[in-house]
Amino acid sequence: MASFKFNLNGKTIQLDNVDPDMPLLWALRENLGLTGTKFGCGIAQCGVCTVHLDGNAIKSCVLPVAAVEDKEVTTIEGLSENNDHPVQHAWIEEQVPQCGYCQSGQIMAAAALLKNNPTASESEVEAAMQGVYCRCGTYPRIKKALAKLVKS
Amino acid sequence: MENTKISRRRFVQLGTIAGSFLAVGCIPTSDGKEIVQNLNGNTDYSLNQFIKIGSDGVVTLFTHRPEMGQGTYQSMPMILAEELETDINAVKIEMSEANRDLYGSQMVVGSRSVASEYAVLRKMGAAAKEMLMSAAAKIWDVSPNDCYAENSMIKLKNTEKSLTYGELVEEASKLEAPQNPTLKDPKDFKVIGQPILRQDIPMKTNGSAIFGLDMKVDGMLHASIERSPVFLGKVVSFNKDEVMKITGVKDVLKTQRNVWGHEREGVAVIADSYWAALKGRKALKVEWDNQDLEQHNSQSIFDKYEEDALKDGDMLHAVGDAENTFKEGGEIIEAVYQTPYQSHVPMEPMNAIVSVEENKATYWGATQNPNGVRSQLQNQLGIAPENIEVNYTFMGGGFGRRSMTDMVEEAADLSKKMKAPVKVTWTREDDQTQGPFRACSINTLKAKLDDDGNILALEHKIVAQEIRNQTGDNMKAGGQLMGGVNTDYEIPNFSVKGVLEKSYIPITYWRAVYHSTNPFAHESFIDELAYKAGKDPLEFRLAMVKNHPKFSSTLKLVAEKSGWYNKPIGDTAKGVAICERSGGYFAMVVEVKLEDNQVKPVKVTTAIDLGVCINPDTVKAQTEGSIVMGLTAAFAGLTIKDGAIAEQNFDTYPLLRYHECPEVETYIIESTDIPAGAGETGLPTVAPAFTNAVFALTGKRIRKLPISKEDLIAG
Repeated sequence: MASFKFNLNGKTIQLDNVDPDMPLLWALRENLGLTGTKFGCGIAQCGVCTVHLDGNAIKSCVLPVAAVEDKEVTTIEGLSENNDHPVQHAWIEEQVPQCGYCQSGQIMAAAALLKNNPTASESEVEAAMQGVYCRCGTYPRIKKALAKLVKS
Repeated sequence: MENTKISRRRFVQLGTIAGSFLAVGCIPTSDGKEIVQNLNGNTDYSLNQFIKIGSDGVVTLFTHRPEMGQGTYQSMPMILAEELETDINAVKIEMSEANRDLYGSQMVVGSRSVASEYAVLRKMGAAAKEMLMSAAAKIWDVSPNDCYAENSMIKLKNTEKSLTYGELVEEASKLEAPQNPTLKDPKDFKVIGQPILRQDIPMKTNGSAIFGLDMKVDGMLHASIERSPVFLGKVVSFNKDEVMKITGVKDVLKTQRNVWGHEREGVAVIADSYWAALKGRKALKVEWDNQDLEQHNSQSIFDKYEEDALKDGDMLHAVGDAENTFKEGGEIIEAVYQTPYQSHVPMEPMNAIVSVEENKATYWGATQNPNGVRSQLQNQLGIAPENIEVNYTFMGGGFGRRSMTDMVEEAADLSKKMKAPVKVTWTREDDQTQGPFRACSINTLKAKLDDDGNILALEHKIVAQEIRNQTGDNMKAGGQLMGGVNTDYEIPNFSVKGVLEKSYIPITYWRAVYHSTNPFAHESFIDELAYKAGKDPLEFRLAMVKNHPKFSSTLKLVAEKSGWYNKPIGDTAKGVAICERSGGYFAMVVEVKLEDNQVKPVKVTTAIDLGVCINPDTVKAQTEGSIVMGLTAAFAGLTIKDGAIAEQNFDTYPLLRYHECPEVETYIIESTDIPAGAGETGLPTVAPAFTNAVFALTGKRIRKLPISKEDLIAG
């Protein structure tokens, strides 16, 4: 058991007495009470656990909590104050979510893409978004939302 | 703060509204037959169990069918709001309590919610509106006929007088509910039929929507359970002492769950956190008595099915005499089709929290079947239903899997043993390998054409397990088995037969159920016959449904919108399929394209007639989702190896990804007919329309799902 300090959604937080092997996902959900990030597969295949680590989209279900020491983590709860990030706006406008379970992962993947590559090509968008599954099949709407967001 | 006690006002006669529950067949209990008023205290007044209005004018509408993505959260209140004459965008939507007496069945399966509740909810909305009108009429000393409702106000005709619902609700709530309220003419609908933005969606863009997995209860323990890989294996022993050494592990216990009459054993690791339970599970070693079930594999299963397909089978549907027509000689065309087992794969794995106390039980979780959860706990624990609290959340997908309550049984068993609330969370591997699954099948088809190339005789035989017939000695196939076979085709000699399989592998309802397998065979074979007859596959179908207005109109519309008759450009081709599901009719065209020597689906065009669509945008979303799920099931399936599921996780059982999704266009035929179900529309037709298009492009007929890469190589 160990203690870790990292920046979570703009605030420095300390986690005490946790197993360093525990994936960040469970630290967020169980120790820190941020349940917007979801558990889907545990092997970094489905991407519903996607968060930002130092601004990049990563899958939190396989990243040991020890690996985020002194780093910046942003979850869906920290993406915007009032559900007003451009990606969130576009998701509501296009009525993307169905069950909604994967959408934190979709939105975090899209937000990282737009921040790091605001003029992404279609194949770059595909590369960024193919890491997150949606069983409800909201892909056609995600595509429409992203078409509005990516600067051509 | 008056009115805190629950007072029930009943109809003197169990009249029209009551009757409507029964007429649509959604409430089997007689207790659900009344409007129940004044359920709430404070300054909120309940006009019935679906509608509450505060004296501040805030209208709360209760949605009683759980939300798993299909949109009932808002589509049910939209029906209420239409008749109540209130702004749907201003109302507060709340999930109702799980209460069969008040709400009847709350199960969400078979795309039935809107279809079965449409009449009831309209009457509930209209009855509440008439009570508000009567209250206003009394105040103004006029006839209710002189009043009308508009935007949460009652207005007096030909005057400027108006009173808000908030001002009227206290008086209105004291009135007897009308038994036979006047319903609106559908041509005056302002809410129904509009693509209104869904209220649950903002919650699903900022992480605030609460799913079963997000629930937390004080003092809760976590459990992860190792279950028999061959489903019916018996626990011989397990290394409890070693697992107990893992930090956080509280106990290691044998547990069990019943799935369609089969008792299935498991060993649970219970810990103070889920991570500790997972670590304990990793250290857990269970010795199983596998009951010789390791001998089974996919090959042996399908070999047996093909052998059984030679049996006569049970007649499920017969027009004319197909058998004799075949005996009369002439060419008989035959084909065998195969579909695999599938897992449901909701993105939220199975989970349940149960707290069992002295003569009391509480459940929290994501379920398609709140009434079933209560029955489960009642039967399992011997606790009276009124002492069982069922709290349901949003579901991270369901697709039929969450209509089962086996995960609730596990949590209740462990809570009772641990004397604490227990949350059972399945891993993805548990979810994928434990089932119950969508059934696999062999379909054999046989046909004879007449001299003009019309189908003279068709026999469709389905060899599969049947969900409602998994235990016991009855070996006769039931009608459930033939779902999705299009008996609306006008074929003079048409028989459908079933051969019932029994297996230790558990199956259950999966989105569209047998409509997810049979139409692949049926609509592919119809295509084979069209080519054999030298006819256009769409025209061939159209000729057989010429007297069926809904099939004809959807086929014609999809032909127009997909550009069916246009000359194909480059390496592209189109395939068509039609189907009826949950009262909805749809025709689909899939366009494929050869890219990098692989045939890919690039565009799916669907025309549908579902009667009244409450929210057409939700209907389109459901169609898009059904297409993605249907394509996923065409490209991946489960196999059995050594008696168990071989594909453990998404690395070997992939879902369709973003970049693999074709363009989707959905066209809705406007109708005032009673609504049909939208939740499965598009799934049955997508595999055959796709493989029919593949044939059109490459000449390769795909008769086995999942489709292999080789099937999609040109030439």
